[in-house]
Amino acid sequence: METVYIDKNAGLVNDCRKGSRKAQFELYKLYERAMYSAALRIVNDEAEAEDVLQEAFLEAFTRIVDFRGDTTFGLWLKQIVINKSINYLRKRKAELVSLDGVDIADETHSDHQENEDRQAVEWKVEEVKAAMKLLPDGYRVVLTLYLFEGYDHEEIAHILKISENTSRSQLMRAKTKLKNNMEKKGARDGY
Amino acid sequence: MGIKIDDFIKENRKEFETDRPSSKLWDRIEEQLDKKEQKKTINLQMWIGIASSFIILMSIAFIYLYPQEKKVVNLADVNPVYAKKQLRFAGLIEEKRDSLQIFAKSNPKLYDKFNADLQKLELTYNALKKELPGSPNQQLVVKAMVKNLEIQLQVVSQQLMIINQVSQYKKENSI
Repeated sequence: METVYIDKNAGLVNDCRKGSRKAQFELYKLYERAMYSAALRIVNDEAEAEDVLQEAFLEAFTRIVDFRGDTTFGLWLKQIVINKSINYLRKRKAELVSLDGVDIADETHSDHQENEDRQAVEWKVEEVKAAMKLLPDGYRVVLTLYLFEGYDHEEIAHILKISENTSRSQLMRAKTKLKNNMEKKGARDGY
Repeated sequence: MGIKIDDFIKENRKEFETDRPSSKLWDRIEEQLDKKEQKKTINLQMWIGIASSFIILMSIAFIYLYPQEKKVVNLADVNPVYAKKQLRFAGLIEEKRDSLQIFAKSNPKLYDKFNADLQKLELTYNALKKELPGSPNQQLVVKAMVKNLEIQLQVVSQQLMIINQVSQYKKENSI
C-alpha cells in the first residue's frame, strides 16, 4: 500500500499556488519556528539562519507550482531549508567534514565513554542546545541530521558527500563530544 | 538513571523548535516576493510584445513574399530547351557587353548609341519576363524571350565588330 500523506495545509498550499499573499504569510507563520530552528542547528549562526530561511521560503513560494503533494508541504520545505543550510556551511568551510579520526580520537577511551550509559545526566533542552552550539560544524551537522531530521547514514553520506562509515563515526564522536560539553558545563556550574 | 540523548531528543522534539527568527524576516521575504512578481509581469509583457511583433513581421513578410514567389516562373519548368538557350545567350551577351565596354572610352558616342539600342531590346525582354507568369501561353512567351536574347546577342556581336573596326581605323590613322 502506498502511503498517502494528508496535508492539513492543502488549502493554504493551493491558495499559495494562486499567489495569495495571505496564504503565504500563514504558511510562513506556521513553519517559521521549526524551519528556523532546523537552520540554526546546522549553520549555528542567527544571521545566516535567517538568510537561509529567507531564501528557502522564497524558493518554496516561487516553486510551489512544482510541489506535487506527494509529501507534505512541511517536509518539502524542510528539505529546501536543510539543503540551503548545508550549502551555507559549505560556503563557510571548503571541506565540511575533513577530520576523520583526529580531534576526539583519544577521548573515546576516556572515563566518560565507559560510563556513558550509567551516567545520570539530567538532560535539559537548553543545555543540549548550548552544548550543540559548541560542536565543530562537521559533528553538529551529522548529529542534527541523524537525531533531529531522521536521516539515516546513507542519506547523510549522500547529502554531505562523505562515506557512510565516516557518517557513523562522526555521529559517535559527536555524541561523545556533546556529552563532554555538557558535563564540562555542569562541572563549571558546580564550582 | 540517565536516558540516552537519542531518546531525549525524540521525546522533547517540540521543545527544540522554539527559536524564532526576527520579526523583520517576513518583511524581507515579502519585499523579494513583490520584486519577483513585478519581474514576472514585466517579463510576461516583454514576451507578449516580442511574440506579437514577431507575428506581425511574419505576416508582413508573408503578404509581400508569397505572391512574388508565385510570380517567379522558372523557365526550365516551361521549356527546358529554351531555358538552356536562355542561359547560354545571357552568358554570351554579358561577355560581349563587357568587351564592348573596353572600347567605350575610345568611342564614347558610339558606345552610348549602341547601349541605347541594347537597352531597348532589354526593356522588351523585361516586359516579356513580367508577362510570363500571367500568360495563358507561356511557351510562346518563353520563345519570344529567347528570340529577344538571340537578337540582343546578334546586335551586340555586330556592335562589337563595328567598334573594333572603328578603333582599328582610328589607330591606323593616328599612326
